Amino acid sequence: MMVEEEEEKQRSSVGRWRWLVDVARWRPSPAEFRAAAALLPPHDRPAIDRFVKEDDRKRALVSRLLQYSLVHHALGIPPHRIRINRTLEGKPYLENKIVAFPSFNFNTSHQGEYVGIASEPLCLVGLDIVSVSKPPGETVLEFIKNFTSYLTDHEWNCIVSSGSHDEMLTEFYRYWCLKEAFVKAIGAGVGFGLQRLEFHHKNWTNISLCIDGEEAKKWRFWLCKIDEMHLASIAKGHPDDAIESLKRTFSDVVIQEEELHTSLEIPEEAFTLWTVEQLIQIVQD
Amino acid sequence: MAAITTGSAVSFARPAKASSVSSVSFAGLRKDNVAFPLQPATQRFTVLRAAKQETVDQVCNIVKKQLVLAEGTEVTGSSKFTDLGADSLDTVEIVMGLEEAFDISVEESSAQSIATVEDAAELIDKLVAAK
Repeated sequence: MMVEEEEEKQRSSVGRWRWLVDVARWRPSPAEFRAAAALLPPHDRPAIDRFVKEDDRKRALVSRLLQYSLVHHALGIPPHRIRINRTLEGKPYLENKIVAFPSFNFNTSHQGEYVGIASEPLCLVGLDIVSVSKPPGETVLEFIKNFTSYLTDHEWNCIVSSGSHDEMLTEFYRYWCLKEAFVKAIGAGVGFGLQRLEFHHKNWTNISLCIDGEEAKKWRFWLCKIDEMHLASIAKGHPDDAIESLKRTFSDVVIQEEELHTSLEIPEEAFTLWTVEQLIQIVQD
Repeated sequence: MAAITTGSAVSFARPAKASSVSSVSFAGLRKDNVAFPLQPATQRFTVLRAAKQETVDQVCNIVKKQLVLAEGTEVTGSSKFTDLGADSLDTVEIVMGLEEAFDISVEESSAQSIATVEDAAELIDKLVAAK
């Protein structure tokens, strides 16, 4: 029994990763930046260069490095043969077809000092990282009031009754990043309608989602604190819930419901922290 | 979401020459694939309904503040919010800032179709005119 379970666990962890990079620690010279960018396919260059701020260019570069190094590391595809494209809504996906994992997908996120990536072999996965901060010129209430139309009444009440202003701010960000993780998992763009989503939880564990008032039974959510200023959320769900443009990127294979269910129930583990130098090594392999 | 530092002076001085012409969006044209000669400036200007220069300038200022752009960062009508570093939170705040500054109300669906400064300025002009 034990051996079977171990094997099952090993098998089911292929293609499932949670990686994080502290991008503030990477301070490349212009030449080092260019060298790192040269590791990516040429068509990625304009997508990085178009950012006006250097920090945004750095994050865009590291985000792409994470994608290529993860796919190479997780699936063994040689870096020069990896084809990553984007849906109309802008979600990156792997064009290479993996027979064993017809719905292999990943999601990146970056904010503040971190860039992260999460991948899953079967379930849809969405990741969102937030930096718990607000403009110094605004009070917490003034700031979060900007977002009332994206929160349900219940969520709003939970936020304003959560304690001090700092606690309210953190609470707001927890709801926000969970909503973002879900929307990103299904591949939807800005038009989704975040107020359709209502999250429920027990002390931020056992997090569940209602969409338009109905419980989303095939979705699981986790929140984790990266450090004092950053939170990350993971959303995992059924590939059927992906929007059309994302579904089309998956192979036309029927997924076993049991495997999917097992995959869904696997608890989250900690993120693995990488340095940019390590990612560069992986891609140059 | 970027934090705003106090005390950063935002320069208003922008020459009023027809820079709105250069900010016309070429959404359909790929930079690396121009198959025909570009039309002369005046023709483009009359074909498309450009936003007022004042509005474009005001939007630029609001955006520069929200995104904490360095002094001297070039922001024009054709600047895309995402290229300037706006994430989803920034975009909501920018729209809120515009609503306050111009005393208008932007519907969510319209808010989502704003990608550039010019888009925002055109929408503002339309809403202000309709008041």
